[in-house]
Amino acid sequence: MLNKSLVEDVLSAALVTGGDFSEVFVEDKYTNNMTYQSSRLEKSISGRDFGVGIRIFKGLQSVYAYTNDFSKDGLLQAANTAAKAIEGNQTQRNILLPAEKRMVDTNHPVKFAPTKVKKARKLNVLRKANEIITNYDPAISQAIIRLLDEEQNVLIANSEGTFVEDKRTRTRLVNVAIASNGSDMQTGFYGPGALQGFEYIEGLDLDHYAKESARIAVTMLHADPAPSGKFPVIIDNEFGGVIFHEACGHGLEAAAVAKNNSVFANKEGEKVASDLVTYIDDGTLKNEWGSINIDDEGEKARRNVLIENGILKGYLIDKLNGRRMNAASTGSGRRESYKYAPTSRMTNTYIEPGESTPEEIIANTESGIYAKYMGGGSVNPATADYNFAALEAYLVKDGKIDKPLRGATLIGNGAETIQKVDMVGNNLGHGAGMCGASSGSVPVNVGQPMLRVSEITVGGREA
Amino acid sequence: MEINVFRDKIFTEAKDMGITELELYYEKENQFSCEIFKGEMDGYKSSTVNGVSVRGLVEDRMGYAYTEKLDDESISFLLNNLKENAALMENEPEEIYPGDERYEDIDFYSASLAEVTPEEKLDFLKEVEKKIYDYDSRVIQTDMATLQDTTIEKAIYNNKGLSLKDRNNLLIVVFSVVVKEGEEIKSDFHVEITQDFHSLDTDDFAKQAVENVLSHLGGKTYETKGYPVIFKNIAAASLLDVFTSSFSAESVQQGQSLLRGKLGETIASELVTLTDDPFMKESIESRTFDSEGVATRKTAVVNKGRLETFFHNLKTAKKDGVTSTGHGYKPSHKDTIGISPSNLFIEPGEASYEQLYESLDEGIIITNLAGLHSGASAISGDFSLAANGYYVKDGKIISPAKLMTVAGNFFDLLHDIEQIGNDLKFTPMGMQGNIGSPSLKVKRLSIAVD
Repeated sequence: MLNKSLVEDVLSAALVTGGDFSEVFVEDKYTNNMTYQSSRLEKSISGRDFGVGIRIFKGLQSVYAYTNDFSKDGLLQAANTAAKAIEGNQTQRNILLPAEKRMVDTNHPVKFAPTKVKKARKLNVLRKANEIITNYDPAISQAIIRLLDEEQNVLIANSEGTFVEDKRTRTRLVNVAIASNGSDMQTGFYGPGALQGFEYIEGLDLDHYAKESARIAVTMLHADPAPSGKFPVIIDNEFGGVIFHEACGHGLEAAAVAKNNSVFANKEGEKVASDLVTYIDDGTLKNEWGSINIDDEGEKARRNVLIENGILKGYLIDKLNGRRMNAASTGSGRRESYKYAPTSRMTNTYIEPGESTPEEIIANTESGIYAKYMGGGSVNPATADYNFAALEAYLVKDGKIDKPLRGATLIGNGAETIQKVDMVGNNLGHGAGMCGASSGSVPVNVGQPMLRVSEITVGGREA
Repeated sequence: MEINVFRDKIFTEAKDMGITELELYYEKENQFSCEIFKGEMDGYKSSTVNGVSVRGLVEDRMGYAYTEKLDDESISFLLNNLKENAALMENEPEEIYPGDERYEDIDFYSASLAEVTPEEKLDFLKEVEKKIYDYDSRVIQTDMATLQDTTIEKAIYNNKGLSLKDRNNLLIVVFSVVVKEGEEIKSDFHVEITQDFHSLDTDDFAKQAVENVLSHLGGKTYETKGYPVIFKNIAAASLLDVFTSSFSAESVQQGQSLLRGKLGETIASELVTLTDDPFMKESIESRTFDSEGVATRKTAVVNKGRLETFFHNLKTAKKDGVTSTGHGYKPSHKDTIGISPSNLFIEPGEASYEQLYESLDEGIIITNLAGLHSGASAISGDFSLAANGYYVKDGKIISPAKLMTVAGNFFDLLHDIEQIGNDLKFTPMGMQGNIGSPSLKVKRLSIAVD
């Protein structure tokens, strides 16, 4: 993508003001984005993102510059501009990279590269999903199906001799159903994705994913407003894991921990969660949406144990925050694109399965809320205050699932909520999402088995 | 390759490939940002990036493609993909616009802002940070101390002779301050957006940032029930931000807006006038032409509660038999044409913020909202959001409330606005700062306190 001697020149130029580490990240990404709506193809756009990011450290100082001027002059100028911001002494270093760049061995096989698949073939999948949603129920007023695919080629080189290339192929099908009765509209959503080629999209069971999105919308159209107050809350598997992604995962990232901006800072070895909670971040899961071969600093992906039986075991660490914490990278340095400096981020994060069956958890709950599917949410890492929205929820009465509820938002404090997990199921599942933070929006999985929290504040319209 | 060379090449090659009409959209962004942490530079970023997108008609169907690499390989990539995409399209065709007779002549760029040096910017942050720590002993640290300035140039060229260009620049400063009292930790943001760097006052900035977050310490729990609610200006603007798509003709035509069929009807309290002003100063979203090349103009969307118009682009306007309101929009070169307001705001009223709550027997003031991307649906109007704010009794602020949820429906809320403040402010949400509102007093909403 850039020849070796030019990369070496840029890495060297970046260090002339006394920096102690320099890095070049080159990205050449091909994407397709198709949207099927109102029973026809409404949008189809193809694109090529290309750019180079240059990063310099000196101690805890960090400087980042990026450009898509890929000429030698353009790159050296970007390196010089960045170097000027470093407060150090003039030095002269000639960075030499290994003779051969390393091409990453992928653990995530791709059969059909999406860039090579005809768009007409992709359109067939969109049509089929549309048919399933629109035929589900007369109340369905709109189906929106998006097919996103990308092939991201990266080259990562640094002054410590890393010189590696990787290709990341991702595909995702997002099903959105809208149900309407004239005065009211409700939406259902299901968006599976993988670090895999078009074979993933063609192999998707649309009778499950597309139909579920329609069923959620129709169910919520007939749902009563959720109550407000404090309740035991049962959260189902897959995307239900978003609660601990928000409430704990972000607080375990070095970006927050290194500067003591997290309630989980300086708590290694301490009990921070219920004994039932073991929390893992694993970037190596085969073909999963949040998986990576290497992170965006060139470090190998791995399985990181964050919390084990309630005890805090480790954090997610990138190179820069690792310096502040005096700790090594955990393969967690990620970024949306060359436009962002990497920072510590999650990959596939999940709670390990427990012993209870889903039936037992519901039967053991006299009165509460059951969140079958979750929407998104957010957290303030400094305080661990979180909020997130249930996409599909039910009242639980006398150990049974009762009527559906809409508009349930759950709020609370992550550090407290994770202590209140009192039942963990045996049905671990993962759900795909996009996670936004200072290094942009990156693909992540959230996951868990069904679990119960003894008390969460629910905010609905029925006061 | 220079953009002019790239443009001439692609227009020539397109003709040879049977692309009858072609438009090239060009965007160039220069950005600088710096961050500090405890007196030291903690982040420093500078960038220059280009983006080019083309759309063109092939047998009356519009195809799209974009690139960020200006080379020969990209030219064939763009034209081949444009053709493949066009061949599949099933929607009503878009058009390549020949242009309007007249465009406003405004430069949204401040040359003096461009002259501020990185050193001045870092010094400003350091001074503010120091004053924040000195202001109150309960300040434990800042979890964000950032300054960012952005310059954007946008241009449209097509083979019907259109050639248009706008440029904007803007500076934004964000501090998030963390305070601690006993075991209680609170944090909150303070943001200033400006084109006049020298108008920023370090004392004033530090004071506002710290007092704002201190006012949330000592939160008490209150009964979960319905209360009269005052949304403070920024909270009101961030709520409005979520629901702006309801006013888009695209959402209306696609059956995704409950405002469908309501043109000319009363959709809000008669106190509400909602204006879109594309020529506002100090906004990165100001523009003299929209993303299709249509001249922009100031628009009253809602006038004294009456829905006057939707936001239109050329395609939706054609479908409704009206003219485009100049709201064709692509967020970047990576998108197809959609619809968006430029600078949209609720016109201010007479009352001060204090007067709004002085009249309450009991109520809640909401100063900021969280979870807007997940807890609010523009389609149904329903929202249930995490909120911070205060409890009011007999016209006085008694204490902050612990973390709350506020739930209701936006379209009901519009009718329930009882009073509008005189304190119009634009939300820094998404750092665009193009949606504004004064503080609003709303009859009743459901509140749950954690």
